[in-house]
Amino acid sequence: MPLKGKKQVNVDEAIVGILEELKLTGDVVHKPLRMDDKEIELLYIKTVVDGDQLHQLIIKPFFELGHLHHVASYLNSLPNQQEVQSQEQILLDLTKGSVLVKLNKDLLLFDVKKVNTNTVRETSVEPTILGPQYALSEDLATNINLIRQRYHKPSLTVEMHEVGSKTNQSLAVIYDQNVVKEGVLKEVNSRISELDQDIVQSTTQLQRFMNNRTRSLLPTMMATERTDRIVYNLAGGKVILLVDGSPSTVIAPAVFFDFMTSMEDNYGLYWVTKFSKFLRYLGLFACLILPGLYVAATSFNPEVFRVELALSIAGSRIGVPYPSFVEVLFMLIIMELLTEASIRLPKAVTGTATTVGGLILGTAATEAALASNIMIIIVAAVAISTFVIPINEMSYAIRVIRYILLLFASIAGLAGLALALIGILMYMTNKDSFGEPYFKIYFNQKRAETGDNPS
Amino acid sequence: MSRYFYYLVFVNMIANVVASVPKILLLEKTEGAILSMVLALPLGLVLCYIVAKFFNRFPGKGLPEIMKKYLPRWFTFPIIILIAFGWFMAGMITLITYSFLLKRFLTPDMPLVWITAIFLLFISYGILMKTSSVLYTVEFVLVCCLPVIFIIIIKAYTTAEMEWDFVKESMMYVYRLPTFSALAASTYLLLGGFNLIIFNRFFTKRKQKMTLLQILFLGIVAFGSLFTTYFVPIGLNGFEGVETISYPWITTSDALRLELGIIERVLFVFLILYLAVSFLSLLIHWHVSLELFRSVIQIKRLKWKEKNLVPYIIIGVFWIISLQLTKYLTEHQLTIYTSYFFDGLLISFIAMVGLFWFILRRAKA
Repeated sequence: MPLKGKKQVNVDEAIVGILEELKLTGDVVHKPLRMDDKEIELLYIKTVVDGDQLHQLIIKPFFELGHLHHVASYLNSLPNQQEVQSQEQILLDLTKGSVLVKLNKDLLLFDVKKVNTNTVRETSVEPTILGPQYALSEDLATNINLIRQRYHKPSLTVEMHEVGSKTNQSLAVIYDQNVVKEGVLKEVNSRISELDQDIVQSTTQLQRFMNNRTRSLLPTMMATERTDRIVYNLAGGKVILLVDGSPSTVIAPAVFFDFMTSMEDNYGLYWVTKFSKFLRYLGLFACLILPGLYVAATSFNPEVFRVELALSIAGSRIGVPYPSFVEVLFMLIIMELLTEASIRLPKAVTGTATTVGGLILGTAATEAALASNIMIIIVAAVAISTFVIPINEMSYAIRVIRYILLLFASIAGLAGLALALIGILMYMTNKDSFGEPYFKIYFNQKRAETGDNPS
Repeated sequence: MSRYFYYLVFVNMIANVVASVPKILLLEKTEGAILSMVLALPLGLVLCYIVAKFFNRFPGKGLPEIMKKYLPRWFTFPIIILIAFGWFMAGMITLITYSFLLKRFLTPDMPLVWITAIFLLFISYGILMKTSSVLYTVEFVLVCCLPVIFIIIIKAYTTAEMEWDFVKESMMYVYRLPTFSALAASTYLLLGGFNLIIFNRFFTKRKQKMTLLQILFLGIVAFGSLFTTYFVPIGLNGFEGVETISYPWITTSDALRLELGIIERVLFVFLILYLAVSFLSLLIHWHVSLELFRSVIQIKRLKWKEKNLVPYIIIGVFWIISLQLTKYLTEHQLTIYTSYFFDGLLISFIAMVGLFWFILRRAKA
C-alpha cells in the first residue's frame, strides 16, 4: 500500500529515515533483491522475523515469478500484509517483527513475526481435577486463538489497544457483543485510555493501574489463567483483558463471590459442589476470625466458651510469658514468612525453608513455651484455610484483613471482633467494580439484580 | 414492596427486643400492656402502610427532595432539622443502651467511653456510605443473624423452664385500659418503615405496591415479635418482679442452655447477634439523620482537598454528644428518657402523616 500522496523521493527518504533511526541496532537487515529487471528492497530486524517464513513468503516467489508486476500483485494479495500509515508506525511494527518491502514507488509491510512464547502451559495457579488442564501461553495471538477455540460465536469481539508508553504492548479487550453490559465496556475503555504507565508487562498489573485508587485492598478485577473460566465469564457478559506476553487475563467486573468460585463447581455433582463451596466459605471465615477469636477468648471473655475449653486453653498457655496477642502475632508472622519464603525462593532451597519452618511451627515453639499448643493448631488451621480460597489475589487480601480483625479483637475483645467483621463487610459493600456493587446477596435472577435499578 | 423495605422494618422490630421496649412494657404489666400491644398492631400497620403508599408516589426521592419541591424553604428547614434530630436520638438510644449492655455483660473491664468510641468508629464509616451500600450491609447481616435468632426463640418457647402459668397469670390483666407509653413503645416496633424518608432514594422503580398479603405478612411477624418480646421474659423469669430486671431479655436468654454447643450459654450468642442487629439499627437511623442534616446544611466553602467537610463536622458533633451523654446518663434515666422519646415519637409520627397529606395536596394542585 502506498504512502498516500507521496512521491518516490519520499519513499526513499522514508527508508533512509528508518535506517537512520535503526543504525545502531546490529541486527537490522537492509537487502536489495535483484533479478534481471526485477528489483525490490527488504528491510527488517533479523531477530524478530521468522526467517523460514520470510523465505517462503517473499524471497522465493520473487525469484519464481516472471515479471515485476506479477510480484507486485502477489505481494499485494498476501493476507498478512499490514497497513502503512506513518514512519513511526513502520518503525514500531519493524520492532514487533514486520518486514518492510520497497516495491517500485511503494512501501509494503508484512507481518512475519517469530514467536517463541506460544507454548501453551499447564495450569499452575488454579489447578482443577476435572476440566481443561491447559492454561494460556505468553503470546497474545495464541491466547486469542485458545479463547476463540472455546467460544464459537460471531459476536465475540476482540478490540486491540496499545498500553505502556515505552514498551507499546498490545492489549486485547475481548467481549461478547450480545451480552456485554454497555456501561462496563465504556468504563473499561475509558480507563484503558487513561492509563499512563511506561511499562505494562503483566495483565495483573492492569488490576492495580485501572482501579482509580492509589491504595486498595481488595481486588476488583479477577486474574485468571484458565480458559474455561474466561469463556464462562465471557458468556456471562464480562470483559476480558489480555496483555501480550502475559500468561494470565483479567476479568472485569468481578464481585466478591466470583473470587470464591472455583471452576470445578460447574463440573461436579450438585451436593458435592455445594459441600465444597461450604467448605471454602468455612475456610474463609475460619482464617479470618480464628486468630482474633483466640485473643478474645483468652484475654477478654474466657467465660464465653465451655468451661472445659476455657480451662484447657488456660492450661496450655501455662509458661507462655506474654499476653495472647503477642503470641498470636508471633506465630502468624512466622507462618507468613514461611509462605513468602516458599513462594520467592528458588525451587532447590524451598525444601530447607519448609523443614526449618516446620520445626519452629511444630513442637519447638511449644516446648520453648513461646506459644501454646492450641495456638499451633490455630496457626495451622489458618494457614491451611487461607489456601482454600481459589483466587490468589483474594487470599492475599484476606491475609491482610486478618490482622485488622486481630487488632480490634486485641482492643475490644469479642465485641471488637464482631464490630470489625461488620466493618469489613461495610468496606466491601461500599466498593464497586466497574459500576457493579462488590458485595451484595443475589436472590433474584442475575439480570434483575445487576440492572441499573436493583430495587 | 422490594425486599429491602422489609429489612428496614425487621431491623427495628428485632433491635428493640434488647433495648428498652420490653422493659417499658413490663413496667406496665398490671396496667394494660397487653391491650396496648393489641392496639399498637393495627396502628403500626396503618402507619407503615401510609408511609409506604406515600413514598410510592415519589419513586427514587427522599423526603428532603419532596419537601423542597412542594413546600416553602422556611417551612422545610426547621421540619427537616427536627426530624433529623429525632432520628439521631433514636440511634443514640440504641447506642447508649448497647454500650451499657456490653459493659455489663461482655467486657466489664473496658471503660464505657471506650466501648462507645469503638462503636462510633465503625458507625462513622458506615453512615458515610452510599444508601445502597447501607442496605446491602443490612441485608447480609440480617441473613446471617435471623436464622440463629429464630432458633433461639424456638428454643425459648420449647425449653422446659418456660412456665406457661406465668403467661396465663399476666393474661389476667388483659382488661386493663391501655396506657400511652406502652402503646407508644409497642408501636415503635413497627415504625421501621419510616426510614423510607431517606431510603426511598434507593427504591427507584415505580411498581412498588403494598398489597394486603404483604400487610398481613408484616402483621404476623409483628404479632410474633410483640408476643415474644413480652411473654417469653414473663414465662422464663416469672410474673412476680420481672419488671425489676434491668435487661429482661438478656436475663431471659441466660436462662437457656445449649447443652451440646461450643458455646454453652445462649447469652453470649444472643449478645453477639444483638450487637450486630443493634449496629444495623444504629447504622440505619444515623444514616437517615446524617443525610437529612446534609440535605439542609450545605456550606459550599467548607472544603478541603475537593471534599466537602460538612458531613465530617456533623459526625464530629455526633461523637461529642454521644460520648458526653454516655458518661452522664445512668441506666434508669435512660429507660425513662427512652419512654418519653417513644411517647413523643408516636405523636410526631402521626403529625408526619399530616405532613404527608399536606404534601400530597400541594403535589396535586
